Amino acid sequence: MTARQMKLGAFLWATGHHIAAWRHPQAHVKAGIDIDHYVALARTAEAAKFDLLFCEDAAGLREADVSIASQTSRSIGFEPISLLSALAVQTSRIGLVSTASTSYNEPYGLARTFLSLDQLSGGRAGWNLVTSASPIEAANFGATGLRPHADRYERAREFAEVVTRLWHGKLGASGHDGQSFSVCDPLDLPRSPQGAPVMVQAGASDVGRDLAARTADVVFTAAQTFAEAKAFYDDLKGRLAAYGREPDDIKIMPGVAPVVAETEAEARAKYEELQELIPDDVGVALLSSYLSISDLRRYPLDGPLPELPESEGMKSRQALVIEQSRRDGLSIRQLARHFAGARGHWRIVGTAVQIADELQARFEGGAADGFNVMPSYFPGELDAFATLVVPELQRRGLFRREYEGRTLRDHLGLKQPV
Amino acid sequence: MHLTVSLNIASTTGQAGALTFSDLAGFAQRAEAAGLDMIVLDDAPPGRAGSGNPFEATTLLAALATVTSRIGLVATASMVAHQPYNLARRFASLDIISHGRAGWNATMAQAPSEAANFSRPDGFSSDEFRRRSEEYIGIVQGLWNGWEADALLFDKDSGRFHDPGKMHQLDHKGEFFAVRGPLNVARSPQDTPVLVLSGLAAGDLDIAARTADVILLDERQAARRKARHDEFRRRVSASGREPNAVRILADISLAANGVAGLADRMEEEFRANNCDGFNIRLSAHISALDDFTNRVLPELRRRGVIRQSYGGTTLRSHLGLSGGGDR
Ligand SMILES: Cc1cc2nc3c(=O)[nH]c(=O)nc-3n(C[C@H](O)[C@H](O)[C@H](O)COP(=O)(O)O)c2cc1C
Repeated sequence: MTARQMKLGAFLWATGHHIAAWRHPQAHVKAGIDIDHYVALARTAEAAKFDLLFCEDAAGLREADVSIASQTSRSIGFEPISLLSALAVQTSRIGLVSTASTSYNEPYGLARTFLSLDQLSGGRAGWNLVTSASPIEAANFGATGLRPHADRYERAREFAEVVTRLWHGKLGASGHDGQSFSVCDPLDLPRSPQGAPVMVQAGASDVGRDLAARTADVVFTAAQTFAEAKAFYDDLKGRLAAYGREPDDIKIMPGVAPVVAETEAEARAKYEELQELIPDDVGVALLSSYLSISDLRRYPLDGPLPELPESEGMKSRQALVIEQSRRDGLSIRQLARHFAGARGHWRIVGTAVQIADELQARFEGGAADGFNVMPSYFPGELDAFATLVVPELQRRGLFRREYEGRTLRDHLGLKQPV
Repeated sequence: MHLTVSLNIASTTGQAGALTFSDLAGFAQRAEAAGLDMIVLDDAPPGRAGSGNPFEATTLLAALATVTSRIGLVATASMVAHQPYNLARRFASLDIISHGRAGWNATMAQAPSEAANFSRPDGFSSDEFRRRSEEYIGIVQGLWNGWEADALLFDKDSGRFHDPGKMHQLDHKGEFFAVRGPLNVARSPQDTPVLVLSGLAAGDLDIAARTADVILLDERQAARRKARHDEFRRRVSASGREPNAVRILADISLAANGVAGLADRMEEEFRANNCDGFNIRLSAHISALDDFTNRVLPELRRRGVIRQSYGGTTLRSHLGLSGGGDR
């Protein structure tokens, strides 16, 4: 029996997670239209024995203001299910997790598409369920705007239930006739090679946590401090019993944005180089959108964050930012620059040893089962993590040297659903 | 003469075991070696449990795109199963993944009981389905055209990733859908993925004349192909497009014709201007394809009615359609 080991996801995002990544001299600026780039990233992550690739998604632009949008690389990219279907046959072991919205899909179609990805990959698919918090997305699916948080989660709950029943072959002759959906037939594809695709979730509001406790196999989260991460971890694991589940049935993997180099000074210089590339208005717009406020530029940039009404978008991320602004006494400008690096996720700048120390502390301190690694730019920072940090984690016995099994459930140590 | 093959993956039910991806990859690679314009991946209407095909067509297309390099790849995807914004994104991505070889086969015929799996227990009346389909296709094509060909600047120094003046909102508000756009996927390498329409009823011809790049005429219409073809060309002109802007392919089945008579029949129909080529309907057995490529194709080549090899790299260029690619 080997000691408990951490799970690692490689969170892909076009040119990189730093908002200005695309401007970095070593970032691949055409990532969003270059499939070969993604094949190379997938192979790097697989060679480093990552558990999974993770793709974010939004069904619309990220930024409402066109002049701001045009200063980022985020308005174009691959639709992730197509992307991962291509990567499925260009890799053989790594898990493939795509985000897809319960607000703008139907359970029958989505269950079928993910099952097909699962078949193509021999049991390596996962679905990151999101409820889609952006009004920009909503405008691509009707004239009625973003629906309230609670309604989106109620729809998501029913959606997840129908998908799970379809995957498990448990949609009986009477089908499903519910509040938001009706389905009459079972799926017309064979059962999943891993029992069912893996269910992933990243909502952290109260209802989001409940839904995760009920249905998710993996949970991603954003947490800056150890205390925040630990509180989330304990809270979510504590909710499982109510649904007849064990703490180990769910793997909690907070996002982490490392900037790694051979020396600490080099790592700091690399980070500063990226920070220099952020136009102020782009940073502030990004912060505004995550806070669900139309434009923070109306307030003095060197002053504090104003009082904000509670978000109908991402409740948890809004709370995290407000908490940080109070804790560290940051101005809007400082907060925006900080946020631009990793959208509120935990950032560590340093050597492989320093980064491994930090990861180890959260892992062993009971605040994480693993991490969703968010390289600041691609491909360089994924390479750096794979060649510097992964070997350090392996030396410490904290991460696998070889895949133990074939399927994503095998990698994550999840039970096969019955 | 254009030649395509429709892969009826659902009809492989009952084959020993399910089809594997490598079976299908082998099939696509042989079709490519034979120089066919494209493969059309059928998609079983949902609800028929226990098909021998483990894949949904758009995901399969993405995977096949990585193991082929020239042949066009067309996936069937239903206008009931997807929202137009999502479908437009999927196909725009598939086109980038395949370097300009993707197409969408939209069936104008309602699949029985499909709507019932998509929270529409009462289905659509034919008239409603037709109006909805036309609106849907217009949205998808509009979204595909939202980014101008030179919109992306990639200028690291000035910090301008794209030219905001070359990205256009759709702002569609119609009877069935409201879609603001723009698409969050870049313009297709061949300007827009190829739109293939099939399952057309008489009332759908004008929609096809206005929007389609390729239409598939099914076998039931074989006797009336000539009249259909001529009438369709008239309607294409009437809609303000070049009469030649659309490829009309007639369905033909190997089993029904046998190898010997097939080349004769194809040449005859083609020379009589009944169609621009053929869509061969096959089950996903490699042997069925081999019969065609080894025996019928050389005969057609000898007669000079098909090209010797691929001239360009995009599906539009194989089909001789206007639009981008090979730029
Ligand atoms: C690591 C991580 C990745 C996420 N990826 C996406 C995404 O790709 N698309 C999306 O719409 N939301 C994404 N989210 C947001 C959440 O899934 C969720 O929708 C949001 O936090 C709102 O839910 P809440 O109010 O319950 O927190 C992500 C969140 C985290 C922590």
